[in-house]
Amino acid sequence: MKNYCYLQIIKRFLVLMTLWSFSVQAQYPVDAPKSQATLGSTTEWFRSMQSSGDLQIHGFASQAFIKTTDNDVFGNSSGDGNFGFTEIGLNALMRPLPRLQLSAQGLSRRAGEGTSATPRLDFAFADYRLFSQETKQFGIRVGRLKNPFGFYNDTRDVAFTRPSILLPQSIYFDRTRNLALSSDQVQFYGETSHLKYGTFSTQFGINRPIVDDKDTALSFVRNRPGSLSPKPTFIGRGIYESSNNRFRMALSGIWLNMAYDPAPGENLGSGSIQFTPLYLSAQYNTERWSLTSEYALRHIEYRNFNNQMLDSLHFTGESFYFQGVYRFNPKLEVLLRYDVLFSDRKDRDGKEWAAKTGAPAHSRFARDITAGMTWNVTPAFMLRAEYHRVNGTGWLSPLDNPVSASTSQHWNLFAVQASYRF
Amino acid sequence: MIKAIIRYLLQLIYFVYILGAAPSALADQEYNVIVHPDVVEKNLSVNTLRAIFGMRMQTWPDGTKIRVFVLPDEAPLHQKFSKGMLRVFPYQLRAAWDRLVFSGIGHAPISVASPEEMQEKVSSTPGAIGYLWKNNIHRGVDVLQVQR
Repeated sequence: MKNYCYLQIIKRFLVLMTLWSFSVQAQYPVDAPKSQATLGSTTEWFRSMQSSGDLQIHGFASQAFIKTTDNDVFGNSSGDGNFGFTEIGLNALMRPLPRLQLSAQGLSRRAGEGTSATPRLDFAFADYRLFSQETKQFGIRVGRLKNPFGFYNDTRDVAFTRPSILLPQSIYFDRTRNLALSSDQVQFYGETSHLKYGTFSTQFGINRPIVDDKDTALSFVRNRPGSLSPKPTFIGRGIYESSNNRFRMALSGIWLNMAYDPAPGENLGSGSIQFTPLYLSAQYNTERWSLTSEYALRHIEYRNFNNQMLDSLHFTGESFYFQGVYRFNPKLEVLLRYDVLFSDRKDRDGKEWAAKTGAPAHSRFARDITAGMTWNVTPAFMLRAEYHRVNGTGWLSPLDNPVSASTSQHWNLFAVQASYRF
Repeated sequence: MIKAIIRYLLQLIYFVYILGAAPSALADQEYNVIVHPDVVEKNLSVNTLRAIFGMRMQTWPDGTKIRVFVLPDEAPLHQKFSKGMLRVFPYQLRAAWDRLVFSGIGHAPISVASPEEMQEKVSSTPGAIGYLWKNNIHRGVDVLQVQR
């Protein structure tokens, strides 16, 4: 299934590449008449594309050191700590026609048992601007796209776009990240702005979620033999920005559908899982301060598993955080954040869950106080350090901590990270 | 009598309207927005300028590509232009560009190292837009009027 999906994307891309290579040739003399003599030379063409900004290559790499007490995050981090968290990405952005952009990014991420360093196609899509009139834009994107939700999901693996080494885990779970990350979709986007009232932009997509990885399977159906398959899923986000750019607000929602097929001999029905999270995000910016808060209600429903325990699983998780960033100057900033997760808002202390399943009550919530510091050594090189004091293991990966009974409720995490980009 | 009052009021409204809508060229600034001479637009609103430097508006009304040139984030002119003209803090612009680049839905502006390079690139790249200190502006680029 996965291979087939990649193949589809590669095919789509090849067709597009062939198409645009013709149009580029045709357009080239108009754009840069001086170098017409060297039209045949690929390197010249490449250089001209780059100097005019029609081809951009960007990349990033970051390496973290993480040390925790008791529980493990991104590998065996308790004890002496480890260097198990690495992010490397490379992308190419091309604008062969004024209204057409082709973008692709490869990502290699190593983060404990959940994610090996195997590179994945993070996004690869064509973006066509159907309508553009000064401050009003409307267009369509087709291919593999980052899932637009919240303030940070679209660029969650690029350290420079995050406020901290770890994003607030209550909203941006690293545990089920692959599902949240990107998906094959058709997306429409639009934007309108007004000098007084500000800018409103929106994205809406129909997609096929990527569900075939072990983290997702483990999170949703524990270790029951069988497979998850994607069903049509909808995702949308609207962002409002005030005209002085001080205030940003977003509302995003996902209507995610998955089907479960039991392995032969497994005594379960072919069930379906519906995950419908709703996110509200707000941010206030001044020259020195950025105050950010996001709130999420995450509803999950299991159906037709022919299993009383599973089919009774209808619950809503609740997450929120408050975050303040203060910039002493463009080079140095500090962060303070309070991040809260409840797996089930009707069972905030996890006691009902503990009574029903025998798992520790603290596995159903997490309260994380984070203090961090960022030093932008140069525009391309950044150093970070942060400390987390956590009560609860709600967002801890079961892959890194297979025996939930032996996890500790109160634990600490310390991390440093070096990041480079170009 | 009533007619006269109505006429007076209408004229007053008209006068206020003209005053309000009149383009107020920014007289006090020491820098200008510059474009490649082939760019048809010589007159833009701040709002449009924001869309351009926010890398959201990608083509000129005649269909040609907009190519945005900027000085480094820490350059005094960039700070002045960003805060004074666009009314955005430089870190916000950078964050917006990073979001576009690393989710693939846009481009970053092209960075130039100096005012000389700005002059050279904007004068030689079709569809180019940038900014310069007034006394760094030479032949080969057009000055764009910005309306508020």
